[in-house]
Amino acid sequence: MNRRSFIKTGTAGALASAFLANQNPAQAQEHEHSDVTGHGGNMTMGEVDHARNGFDPHEILTDFDYGEVSKDASGRTVREYEFIVENKEIEIAPGLFYPAWTYNGRVPGPTIRATEGDLLRVRLVNSTDHLHTIHWHSIHPAAMDGIPGAGEVGPGEEFTYEIDAKPFGTHLYHCHSVPLKMHIQRGLYGALIIDPKEGRPDANEMVVVMNSFDTDFDGENEIYAVNTVAFAYAVRPIKINAGELQRMHVVNITEHDPVNSLHIHGNFFNLYRTGTSLVPHEFTDTISMGQAERHMIEFTYDTPGNFMFHAHQTEFVELGWMSFFEVE
Amino acid sequence: MAADHVSVKVPNWLLSLVPVALVGLLVVVIFAFNPIENLRDVPAVERVAFERTTFEPGRIELHLRNDGPDPVQIAQVLINDAYWRFEASDADLGRLETATITVAYPWEPGLPVKISLVTSTGVVIIHEIEAAALTPEFDVETLGIYAVLGIYIGVVPVSIGLLWFSSLRRASKKWLSFFLAFTVGLLAFLLVDTTGEGLELAGEAAAALDGLALFAIGALIAVICLMRLENALEARKAGREGLFLAYLIAAGIGLHNLGEGLAVGAALAAGEIALGTFLVLGFALHNTTEGLAIVAPLGREGERPALSHFALLGAIAGVPAITGAWAGGFIFNAAWAALAFGIAAGAIAQVIWTISRSIRGGLVTAAGTGGFVAGLGFMYLTSLLTA
Repeated sequence: MNRRSFIKTGTAGALASAFLANQNPAQAQEHEHSDVTGHGGNMTMGEVDHARNGFDPHEILTDFDYGEVSKDASGRTVREYEFIVENKEIEIAPGLFYPAWTYNGRVPGPTIRATEGDLLRVRLVNSTDHLHTIHWHSIHPAAMDGIPGAGEVGPGEEFTYEIDAKPFGTHLYHCHSVPLKMHIQRGLYGALIIDPKEGRPDANEMVVVMNSFDTDFDGENEIYAVNTVAFAYAVRPIKINAGELQRMHVVNITEHDPVNSLHIHGNFFNLYRTGTSLVPHEFTDTISMGQAERHMIEFTYDTPGNFMFHAHQTEFVELGWMSFFEVE
Repeated sequence: MAADHVSVKVPNWLLSLVPVALVGLLVVVIFAFNPIENLRDVPAVERVAFERTTFEPGRIELHLRNDGPDPVQIAQVLINDAYWRFEASDADLGRLETATITVAYPWEPGLPVKISLVTSTGVVIIHEIEAAALTPEFDVETLGIYAVLGIYIGVVPVSIGLLWFSSLRRASKKWLSFFLAFTVGLLAFLLVDTTGEGLELAGEAAAALDGLALFAIGALIAVICLMRLENALEARKAGREGLFLAYLIAAGIGLHNLGEGLAVGAALAAGEIALGTFLVLGFALHNTTEGLAIVAPLGREGERPALSHFALLGAIAGVPAITGAWAGGFIFNAAWAALAFGIAAGAIAQVIWTISRSIRGGLVTAAGTGGFVAGLGFMYLTSLLTA
């Protein structure tokens, strides 16, 4: 006889209620109040050391890399980049370290920014023990595709990709070596933004890469974020100006979950699917995105205040993908 | 040639220190040169035991112990898969170190709670509560409630059982042997019960504390101490063997009831159980038989102990249920509980041995075997009432 398990199934108890009347758990929540502001108690504790990481989500937000610029014989703009693949332990939530694989020591990798028609020349140097590539979501020749057999780089080796910047839009690059899921989830990805030749109206431009981290490698994520660090823009909101046009490039490279999403509070945005159009496709406040889907959105806040933006998968919100705009 | 006879006078105590000094040197070498470093090129083993989880209004408190071989740094805490703010007495846990983490969380009674610790290396350690329930507060009122509980399951039924003494006195020798054997059967049942429960608790204890060893050590110490006690009292018990046996049985049953109170108190505090009318009835019938067991040896010797002896016997066997309920409700810890259950199991085993030897003709007479089987059967049947 097990004196603990047996009573679990016990008959409803008159005596029990007599004994325990003053312990009625229904009264338990009387004084319940959170002393934390912002997102209540649902928040990580402590602070991430961005300096040790070597990158800061707030800097990544507006850090566009135009490359080493020159002109070729025909007068075409050539942009040259060097990407070094290196293993690096990064702090993705306070005190929580992830064994990342990085392009140039940061996750996401550098945001490449070019104009349609430019020539991109990207030298990939592999300082790790694994094979790596850069696979481009763009229009390019097979030899430049960055897959096993086309531009894959062994340990200590290098390869230079040459691709045309086309089509214009909000794009993505990532490692395509196998095992593919592992190479992507470890952090080898970034945004590729190609502007239309005719340009776009002036705006405050930002790039957010939706990503996730499976810290115990069991096939489920412990951390969801934009630009890597959980709750980074909740701990310190993104400051934007009221009345100013905001243009955000949103890239989804979440692993393990087929769909991520973006919802902004107190406002609607113009959605340019994959950023490949000059006119918006949709006016909404929530957009769902499959893996590798990416969009350009534009919006303007008219009044100051704090406005959330986050995934509308509440599970992702609670695991770190929760952010704020501080409109001034 | 005289070399064999040259004897340097080395004091014996100094010689005995040589191995000690060498072991000390070994420790220094291992720490200084770490010769097995290359063998340890594997990730750290991070383990944390949840020794106790308490629920206050809007608040969850986790009592943790690092029961793995390597240090653990707790980076973040998830409640129901959401990162939650927390306060930690110590987030860096060395081997066997303990810490308390407090989380302000709007938990709801009766609903499951999943608590996950994320360590600095990304390992997730999960503890699931089947149904959250308010942890009783340590105050006079709650102490009183648990005392009443202990009285109901221990003191009252055992005391009632003692009243069988008067009829036992008039019973024939055959019947007395029957009831002594009945007592042995009853104790054998309690031994199985206590052992089963003790081993289960041993499994729940922090792995590094080795609950199984604690249980076994408790049992063996109880056996040897009771044997020693019996030996010491050998001379004084002349003519009062019956009373002596009664005290032994009361002690064994008392230790069992301590464990019983502990288990029930802990389960109540953890919200795992609800006491029902049937349950208390079951306890009453089940434990009343324990009173009969205590007085069984008194009938045979024709002794007439003073009333104060009965009060003391009842207290020894029954009151530990109160102590157990308190301990279970307020300071429950699976490792210590395993030790307590081990002591109870050892004591019961020793008492079984002593009574068996005292039965005229042993257990294999008609009365002995009949009583033994009846004791086992009766305990099993009354235990069904509490199932």
